[in-house]
Amino acid sequence: METTEVHTRVKAVIARVLKMEAGQIKDDANFIFDLGADSMQSLELVAAFEEEFGIEMDEDKALEVQTVSDAVDFIAGYLMD
Amino acid sequence: MLLRNLCSDEITQLENQGCWAEAWETVRVVDHFNPHRIQRVRFYGAVELGDFSADIEVEAGVRRACGIYDSTIQDCRIADNVRIADVGELVRYTIETGAVLQKVDSLIVVGDSTFGNGIEIDVLNEGGGRTMRIFDRLSAQLAYCLVHYRHDSEMVACIEAMITDYCLERQSSRGVIGSSARIERCGVLRNVRVGPFAEIRGAVELANGTLASVEADPVRIGSGVIARDFIVQSGSHISDGVMLTHTFVGQGVRLGKQFSAEHSAFFANCEGYHGEALSVLAGPYTVTHHKSTLLIAAQFSFFNAGSNSNQSNHMYKLGPLHQGILERGAKTGSGSYLLWPCRVGAFTAVIGKHAANFDASELPFSYIDVQDGKTFITPAMNLFTVGTKRDSSKWPQRDRRKDAEKHDRIHFDLFNPYIMGRVLRGIDLLDQLVQNTPREHEIVKVKGLHIKRLLLKTCRKYYEIAVQVAIGQALAVKLEAAPHDSWRAVRDELAIETGSNLEEWIDICGLLAPQSRMQELLVALRSGEITDLEKLDDRFADLYRAYDNSNWSWIVALIEKRLGISWNGMENEQVKQLIQQWRDQAIKLNKMILMDAEKEFDVNSRIGYGVDGNRETIDADFTAVRGTFAENSFVWQLKKENTEIAARADALLERLKNLSP
Repeated sequence: METTEVHTRVKAVIARVLKMEAGQIKDDANFIFDLGADSMQSLELVAAFEEEFGIEMDEDKALEVQTVSDAVDFIAGYLMD
Repeated sequence: MLLRNLCSDEITQLENQGCWAEAWETVRVVDHFNPHRIQRVRFYGAVELGDFSADIEVEAGVRRACGIYDSTIQDCRIADNVRIADVGELVRYTIETGAVLQKVDSLIVVGDSTFGNGIEIDVLNEGGGRTMRIFDRLSAQLAYCLVHYRHDSEMVACIEAMITDYCLERQSSRGVIGSSARIERCGVLRNVRVGPFAEIRGAVELANGTLASVEADPVRIGSGVIARDFIVQSGSHISDGVMLTHTFVGQGVRLGKQFSAEHSAFFANCEGYHGEALSVLAGPYTVTHHKSTLLIAAQFSFFNAGSNSNQSNHMYKLGPLHQGILERGAKTGSGSYLLWPCRVGAFTAVIGKHAANFDASELPFSYIDVQDGKTFITPAMNLFTVGTKRDSSKWPQRDRRKDAEKHDRIHFDLFNPYIMGRVLRGIDLLDQLVQNTPREHEIVKVKGLHIKRLLLKTCRKYYEIAVQVAIGQALAVKLEAAPHDSWRAVRDELAIETGSNLEEWIDICGLLAPQSRMQELLVALRSGEITDLEKLDDRFADLYRAYDNSNWSWIVALIEKRLGISWNGMENEQVKQLIQQWRDQAIKLNKMILMDAEKEFDVNSRIGYGVDGNRETIDADFTAVRGTFAENSFVWQLKKENTEIAARADALLERLKNLSP
């Protein structure tokens, strides 16, 4: 899968879970400080990414991801594997 | 005491010192009695007086002469070296050696009294039906049986008969003030038995109760306390305007700051300040510290109530009949509300106001919150929050009971078979929900709760981490204690002679045991094998001591079930895999907890710091007050724990690798 597609789908997932417009989500946005994700929404994001991309992420490493672009890279890494 | 009558010279001296007796011939004294230290005292009925020649410390560094001054005494036995001063009425008491009674309006026994033993209290169900009789040796475990097994009327009748016998033993027309007890600046004490070394200073009214104080762990009652129909066990402190009615206070409890309680029982190490409790069965370590917090008609243990926590036990129908159970380790957030009936699972945090009845007992370690007025649960989320880890490690260190005889038996293990059994059921439930929920459904409903479908698989994974950690940590301890050279010898030593058993466990108000063992105890009660409270207590002690073996039996059964092989056929390689899993998952879990702890140091946590400065000032102020993440003692301890887990697992793996078959 192309990185641009991962990028688009990651933003779509974030928009769906955090109930916001995908266009408002910047690449360097921090999930907690910029997008306002709380602990439970962080779990939802992990679950939503897994479902969207059909992957199973390492729990602790997934929760370490802080920004949108980090999430794109992290997921892309799984897809490449 | 060998006693004699007063001689005429002594009577004359006493009268010259302002004393008066209804009949001097009923005032009997020890051989070396010195009348000099009896001044302005009125005697009624049969009074026995000891030798008051010593001085006694009434406050730190303040010594006063023993003796009786400015008091009225009726039908009392007063031992050697007691000081009684300004006691308006002292009637029908035995005062033991070294006691001090000063400035007390009245200390009196009326009729035959059991001193609070046998008082009925209505816990859990405010309307009755779970009525329990309290007494001065009551344990949390016995209370659990009486309250929760009302359907076993035969068993309840057996225990009731034992309590009746015990209360009759305690019944007397004469009270006791134990040796070295201190009672000062108090109002009325009526039908109160006071144990050795107890301190009562400034209490307003105590009526029909026992302070089961001991030298090693005295009871302390402070100013403004009003208590009626009560029992207080050793080491408990009650002060500052507390009001108790029909209430049991176990060992090492702290109640203060105008807390009030009615028809409630507080077991070991509970704390209650400011708030109110009504019909509460407060198991060990139930804590409520804040004003506007009401705990009503519920059972708690290892519980922390947020400020303004509240519950309702009726809805204007048939009355206050409903009850709630918050299993061990549960918490309520500030301003939370729960509508009984309701059951909250172990180590679960409740946030917000819930207007629905739900049962979350099969989903421990969860977050329960409110979204759009509905109750949502995020299962397993509390597994990796810093609070769960911190709480579970702090409780054993905060057991303040110093009495050699501890009435409540308490197990502290976090990943114990009781909770892990619930975790396994939680996994099954989540699996079923995953299978049965179409992808287009955003939300799943179960037992009054809502779960986001997306989270079902994720939360199941978190529970699986806990299972692997529970197995691994128990296995590691056992392997470390079996230093043999061959795998067969290790396996044989760790085998369960009586057979492993993946059975249901229960939490008997702090004591964890297989349900079958509890059933055996109930059978023994019904059959008459257990004939008194002491024997019953011994059986609870047996259950307590059996924990390690029963726990291992359960773990072995769990391993057998998951691997599909009996322990006797277990290979070294399979056990190595379990240890490797433990290493990976335990370290992972701790890392997730560390991530949660790190949030306490992030930018959001710094709001309000460095109020008059820039970013640099904010950070400097925060660091000065809170320290740094790396230097935080909890963080440091958790990192150390991870290092130790890795070292232990590696050592075990190396040893297992080198074992002969």
